[in-house]
Amino acid sequence: MTERYAFFRGCFVPVRLPQIEAITQKVFSDMGVSLVNLDDFTCCPEPVGVGINDKMMWLSLAARNLAVAEEKGLDIITICNGCTYTLRHACNALNSNKQLLNKVNETISDTGHEYKGKVKVSHFLEVLKNEIGTKRLKGAVEYPLSELTIATHTGCHLPSPKEVMKFDNPFDPTILDDLVAVLGATPADYDMKTMCCGWTLMTYGAREGAYALLKDKLSNMKLAQADCLTVVCPQCFYQFDMGQWIASRKDIPQYNLPVLFYLQLLGLAMGYNLQEIGYDSHKVKNPEFENKIKMR
Amino acid sequence: MIRHFLHTKNINAISVLSYFISIKDDGNMPISLEYKAKNELLQKFPKIETCLKCNTCALVCPVQYAGFSPTNTYVNNIFSSREPEKNPNIWLCVSCHKCEEICPYEVKPPEVIEALKDEAFEKGYAPEAIREEINQVLTTGYAFPIFQSLHFINRERERRGVEPLGERKVGEIRKIAKKTGLENKMVGVRPR
Repeated sequence: MTERYAFFRGCFVPVRLPQIEAITQKVFSDMGVSLVNLDDFTCCPEPVGVGINDKMMWLSLAARNLAVAEEKGLDIITICNGCTYTLRHACNALNSNKQLLNKVNETISDTGHEYKGKVKVSHFLEVLKNEIGTKRLKGAVEYPLSELTIATHTGCHLPSPKEVMKFDNPFDPTILDDLVAVLGATPADYDMKTMCCGWTLMTYGAREGAYALLKDKLSNMKLAQADCLTVVCPQCFYQFDMGQWIASRKDIPQYNLPVLFYLQLLGLAMGYNLQEIGYDSHKVKNPEFENKIKMR
Repeated sequence: MIRHFLHTKNINAISVLSYFISIKDDGNMPISLEYKAKNELLQKFPKIETCLKCNTCALVCPVQYAGFSPTNTYVNNIFSSREPEKNPNIWLCVSCHKCEEICPYEVKPPEVIEALKDEAFEKGYAPEAIREEINQVLTTGYAFPIFQSLHFINRERERRGVEPLGERKVGEIRKIAKKTGLENKMVGVRPR
């Protein structure tokens, strides 16, 4: 049985982190799920910058993206918390409000698209957990990562606000921990688990604050004996990887805590090597972690 | 509620203590009496009035790392100034909704901050980074700067074994922006 999804890559992954896109395609095709790239997708659009400043534009562009997938008869899979946040908010708002739906459809009518309200948006974690299921996922793991203790960071925009996202408990997220345990690794129980990664502080002008936040989060992960940390959002990835690298050149200690996208870890557990999952492009590398991977 | 929250693993006694030490009391009213649009804001978001200033939201706010206490971001820093929409600190809000989830009185701080941002954007107080980002979406269909041409990005993509990126449907985005009026608001932003 082949499941097919419209692959909503977003902006950040295809432009700056193509290695994550590559491993996503590999991992899902190995599990018999095909991800279809649709050229008509645009930016979701990004919720903090565009979404807040022009709600109508935000909803309309999102509705257009939803319509693009709907016309192909496919459900959407995303690999970014921000995209999931935008598209699910749009789904939620448009499906529950007929008047708004008509207004938005009128706005996008010039582009030749129309959203009818039949698309389901899933973050890849939801697909792994609900559609593929832990049983099938366990079957795909050939090289369990039993040597590793992994700190998980689910991020902000996937679990909150919970009445819209309906994903996990924002103050005690467990889904990512469970999925890490499926790979044979031990999830690290660390303090400040639900605190933001600090990406917005970094990009909108409070860099020093972002460094302090990173320092607290990373030192807590180290205290919990983590060998690496895992994320499910490209912005969190970039912040923990590039941000950690930049911060370590300032006054925070060298934590050398490698960051892996969850699908990269899954790739490792399925038998891909560090080069194949794109580890060579990471800013933060740690020989101890690499040895543990080689021993798996 | 608070006790229950403190017992969860994310907040320990030290962080609570260090947080309360870090609060700077500048004696401001939580919502400035001078703020012109106060009544309008209260009418739009009546829940603001139920805020007890219990500071529970402050414990979970990531902006506490940006040099001022989060009591200052939400209740003090923002509403105590005469023109909160001019306050550059509103732009640090991540919209992570943690304050909204934790609030015992269902005050929704993000909604108010978003409304202020909206107002600030209309009046042209939005920082360059935000305006540039919107411009980016309108002109390329990508939210993040494409420093070089797509050619440069595609070289790296090819090395990673993924298919090259094409131009996005900018024409359709422009059509939508024209209808929503965003294009007019963006007049004055440097064209690419």
